[in-house]
Amino acid sequence: MSNVELGLWSFPVVLALIFIRIPIGLAMLVVGIGGSYLVTGSFNPVMAQFKSLTQSTFASYSLSVVPLFLLMGQFATLGGMSAALFKAAATWMGHRKGGVAMAAIGACAGFGAICGSSLATAATMGQVALPELRKYGYSGALATGTLAAGGTLGILIPPSIILVIYAILTEQNISKLFMAAFIPGILAAVGYMITIAIYVRVNPGAAGRAERASYRERFAALGGVWPVLVVFIVVIGGIYGGVFTPTEAAAIGAAGTALISLLNRSLTGSNFIEAILSTASSTAMIFLIVLGAGALNGFLAMSQLPQVAADWVTTQGFNPWVVLVAILVLYLLLGCVMDSLSMILLTVPIIFPMVSALDFGLSPDEFAIWFGILVLIVVEVGLITPPVGMNLFVINSMAKSTTLGQTYKGVLPFVASDLVRTAILAAFPAVTLFLVRLLY
Amino acid sequence: MNSIAIGRFVFGLARVVAIAGGLALTATVVLIVLSVTGRSLIWMGLGPITGDYEIVEAATGFAVFCFLPWTHLMRGHAVVSIFTDLAGPRFNAWLLLLCDALMLVIAVFLTWRHALGTMDKFAYGETTLLLRMPLWWSYAAGLTGLFVLVIVAAYLLITTFADALAGRRPQAGQGAVH
Repeated sequence: MSNVELGLWSFPVVLALIFIRIPIGLAMLVVGIGGSYLVTGSFNPVMAQFKSLTQSTFASYSLSVVPLFLLMGQFATLGGMSAALFKAAATWMGHRKGGVAMAAIGACAGFGAICGSSLATAATMGQVALPELRKYGYSGALATGTLAAGGTLGILIPPSIILVIYAILTEQNISKLFMAAFIPGILAAVGYMITIAIYVRVNPGAAGRAERASYRERFAALGGVWPVLVVFIVVIGGIYGGVFTPTEAAAIGAAGTALISLLNRSLTGSNFIEAILSTASSTAMIFLIVLGAGALNGFLAMSQLPQVAADWVTTQGFNPWVVLVAILVLYLLLGCVMDSLSMILLTVPIIFPMVSALDFGLSPDEFAIWFGILVLIVVEVGLITPPVGMNLFVINSMAKSTTLGQTYKGVLPFVASDLVRTAILAAFPAVTLFLVRLLY
Repeated sequence: MNSIAIGRFVFGLARVVAIAGGLALTATVVLIVLSVTGRSLIWMGLGPITGDYEIVEAATGFAVFCFLPWTHLMRGHAVVSIFTDLAGPRFNAWLLLLCDALMLVIAVFLTWRHALGTMDKFAYGETTLLLRMPLWWSYAAGLTGLFVLVIVAAYLLITTFADALAGRRPQAGQGAVH
């Protein structure tokens, strides 16, 4: 078997291991180490590599942003900010048709601005908004579908942990990627609200209305969300403006959200330990996958598969747009069974060199940014596509009276909205690149 | 010591080490806030903390190593369970045994190579650029988490094996299902 063939075969083997419930990072490590042995005919290279690979992966300045953003999200979850955001959004929109659900989307978008994780956003907003949605007569399908979809805004709206990983893999500027994610993130929130408006007109029984709040109440509720705004402006503004490195911004954000929850008296000793242990689990989960990807990519580079694949795509003379659509569809399918981060780490090292060899009429940097945002969106759709969508499970487990089948039905209109948005962003790169072009 | 006491000991050890990592991460937050504040007040004669990048790398690295045993014990690693859910509990118990065996092998491998790496850095006397902090310090700190990971992985392998033989459902958490 040639080295390139070995590289190709590694994918079905990794997938087979993953599908028999071996942790994804572990499967990648095993195949990476085994593959290096097969390519070089000796364990010596991989033995030497692992004298320092674990250390250089775990103790890396660029990756240190990951645990810090996770810690920031944990403190934000404690701090009662989700409740303040939802209240503010609900007093402004709640009296409209489907307004309480729209308010939940708005609050998810706000929370996404200080939290880089979809699951945390879905879980924390679910706790606040699900009881309210049921109180105002929203059907279980619409309520759970709305919150599962809203949770994906946690990662679409910067900061976003997936974008950090993508930036490191493709050697792109994190602040440009965060900037490019901004308009697509807002479009996502607007798209979800339009989806709700259509949904409640087609199914008038699915939603009730909240009473209209006075303007005095509305502005009073807005006053409750200023801490979120301050943290967002400092963190994201600092990154955009080049005042801080992303790591510094994440640390300052963690300090800010910790301070807010201290002032709210919601940060206690035992809460703090809980926050640390949750951060520990998510951090180690991510870093095991990153380490596995390091081992696997070391082997793939030795097998020369990435170059051969890139050369093959260019010499075939495919239409670039057909290749792009095929890749996005592949991600959508894979997203039905896999989590977003693993998909990015598993596929980007092969797929990125292949697609960057194609001509979309963009500069290499602009292409990398645009492609990153597109991939981010399609892998996030995976969080809400039945049968395996993590957000669906999290929200459904909170809504006792709603079956998983109802949640599946409720989320489908939002998946449709995601697909429409993906098509728009793919067809018009300028929508994504507008802010980056304007500000750099 | 009976099996319950051993289980408690392993749980307590993993938890303490994870909390130690979390405290290192919290200390990193404080350090960065101080350093950035100092940098913004240069006009007052203050300045950033020298070598803050190096401390951040070492401290977050230590934290990540310390988080590994806890995550394995809590079954927090990302898995795909859609296909195995179709199979019966007995089959899944044996699959889990395979998973725990692989994790132990990899944990021992990583620890062994990392320990040799630590000895290399010690022998060559390499230091960081600004603070001249010996590199082997942060390597050696990482060994804490790796040693505990080996203990946790061995413990889980034994309990999973006992469960599979007895036809019991695994007791630990069900993992971060995706």
